[in-house]
Amino acid sequence: MRRWAAVLVAALTLAGCGSASGPDSASGGGEHKLVVWDWKSGDPAAAAYLEKAKADFAAKRPGVSVEFVAQPFDQYYTLLGAAIQAGRGPDVMLFNGGGRLRDRVDALVPLDPYVIADRDRLTGWEAFGGNGKTYASPVTLQGHPIYVNRKLYRDAGLDPDRPPATWDEFVDACTTIKDRTGARCLALGNKEGAGIQFFLSALGSGALTGQEYGDWLAGNRDWASPDVKRIFELWTEADRAGLNTEGPNSTAMFNDSFAKFQSGEAAHVIGLMSDVGHWKDFGEFLDPGDIGVLPAPVITPGAAPSLPYDGGIGYAVARWTPDPALAADLVRSLSSKDALAAFHADAGAIAADTSIDVSAAGPVASRVVSGIAGGRPALHVALSSTTLDLMGRLSQQLLSGSVTVDEALTQLAASDRDG
Amino acid sequence: MPPAGRRLRAERLAPYALVAPAVLVVVALRLYPLALGVNFSFTGDGERDGTAVGLDNYATLFDDPLFLGALRNVGLLVLLLPVAVAIPGLLATFIYLRVPGHRLFRGVYFFPAVLSPVIAGAIFNLLLAFDGPANALLGTVGLGPVDWLGDPDVALFAVVGVHVWATFGMALVVFLAGFATLDPSLLDAARIDGAALPRLLRHVIVPGLTRTIQFVFVTTMIGLLTSMFGLLYVMTGGGPGGATYLPEYYIWIQQGQLDRPALASAASTVLFLVMVVVGLLQISLLRRSGRVD
Repeated sequence: MRRWAAVLVAALTLAGCGSASGPDSASGGGEHKLVVWDWKSGDPAAAAYLEKAKADFAAKRPGVSVEFVAQPFDQYYTLLGAAIQAGRGPDVMLFNGGGRLRDRVDALVPLDPYVIADRDRLTGWEAFGGNGKTYASPVTLQGHPIYVNRKLYRDAGLDPDRPPATWDEFVDACTTIKDRTGARCLALGNKEGAGIQFFLSALGSGALTGQEYGDWLAGNRDWASPDVKRIFELWTEADRAGLNTEGPNSTAMFNDSFAKFQSGEAAHVIGLMSDVGHWKDFGEFLDPGDIGVLPAPVITPGAAPSLPYDGGIGYAVARWTPDPALAADLVRSLSSKDALAAFHADAGAIAADTSIDVSAAGPVASRVVSGIAGGRPALHVALSSTTLDLMGRLSQQLLSGSVTVDEALTQLAASDRDG
Repeated sequence: MPPAGRRLRAERLAPYALVAPAVLVVVALRLYPLALGVNFSFTGDGERDGTAVGLDNYATLFDDPLFLGALRNVGLLVLLLPVAVAIPGLLATFIYLRVPGHRLFRGVYFFPAVLSPVIAGAIFNLLLAFDGPANALLGTVGLGPVDWLGDPDVALFAVVGVHVWATFGMALVVFLAGFATLDPSLLDAARIDGAALPRLLRHVIVPGLTRTIQFVFVTTMIGLLTSMFGLLYVMTGGGPGGATYLPEYYIWIQQGQLDRPALASAASTVLFLVMVVVGLLQISLLRRSGRVD
């Protein structure tokens, strides 16, 4: 029996063959049917968007049916990973911009020849590119504005129309707000280690010089730079100084952290500009007139704060689809102007087509959109999934005091170097 | 009537034919996928997808402090096992000895067993929140707040505590079934001799329930090692700083979040081997006690 077990183990060890992707591939749909996987199509706020997109596609490609399969977001990339390993799955799939897509470009069709006409109309392509090619068309933009509870500013005797411009002014304002209203400065959730991503990207343009920022995005990241180190020092200092809401390591960004902002327990939250955790969500609980948006405070003198944003979500085409041109046409319909306008109107998302009129959404949305022209990609999106995962754990260890900033930066530099 | 030789052969083959469906199901749905998974663990991820990499994935695993931490946490769970078994054992004893309200307690203790881990986790997320009722209660007695889920020294104990709360109902039922086999005259005799509860436990109940205790040890151990994913996912997300990672959570992160299925297969194989070792130890214990009986 033991001998048989040893032979089996040896055979498996020597064989060591098998492929994650597999040589065989098959389409989820057929020539007259396309299957789309996403996590949006079950959302009522996306219903009008999908109707417009389907209508646009039906006009271009009559006779081709489209089936949307809404997957639970928590399981989405696990399910997608299984489909990619099998070499079978949907023809078109939704992705978050950045590492989620870049890790899987081997399974995708480069869309560059198909989306030439959309190049100038849409923004956020960089987050859906890799190896010099484009793999998805952006639907929304994702970014990290610092939202403000203007009422707390007024209650504390501060002028919300003259928000703090430097980090020191920001801390002073926070101290005043805490003393006079009891509210904390930042609603910060870090249970999954996600808080550091928002913190890094929201404050990064106020800490890094223009050159450092550009180098970071280009992959030449100097983790030993004093300006990079300053962001991670502020991450720990802000918590120890009581700027954050309590228990960030046990508080989830979604929905605990945003709930604390909405309930007036914190004066600021680093939120989003896609369809959740944004001005429209907050407007359900706060008076829309009390919600504002703040440029990143200047941390390093001479730094030029800008809005951090990238492509938020976008649709890509699987390499096993029998007719990539057909699937690419559906992707183009899913980022057509009318469809994106409906998505913005119903979900509040800042769409990838920045020519869409957002004036009806109020001043906060208009201010966010006006920041896009001078905005730059978010710092954390440039990092690999592995480095982001490590950064999430280290951010928790920094808050609990089990690692120093220098140790954390050394580990991050090593992870970033190894890819 | 068939000839004697054919009848003899049919009788000899009948057991194999009867067992065959079960064997086929086990081989096709358990052993074959297991072999595929083990085989897959010797291939690469990403750019090395599909190529044989030997033991590289295992080298990566045992060089990863996160995976080693997850294995250390398995060791901690083994140390906590006696507590997880003692709690339902003691409570079952109280019910068996008919403490006032024992009928009510039987239902109350069993109730959490019908909750999914996600629901139990969500309930305790609220109770154990930094500004939640558990800390408010501590505050009323003058004790400082505890970051139950955000302190790396406390979080795993908090999650294991919730797991024990959520699952001890099943062990309690098994214990009560074991008590049904206990000879009440032994307890009566001990009481007449003036034995108090600790002596009853030590000299009558524990020896009388040896097999039941061993069975609960086995099932509780398997539960602790393989059924905590839901709670970890909801309560801590593996944090803070990886302090509550267990191998199955690590496997899920590598496969689902970091797109490294071959590395996840290697971790699955290691977890399987751990379970095999634990299982074999437990089987040998049960066999030994069987011989004593």
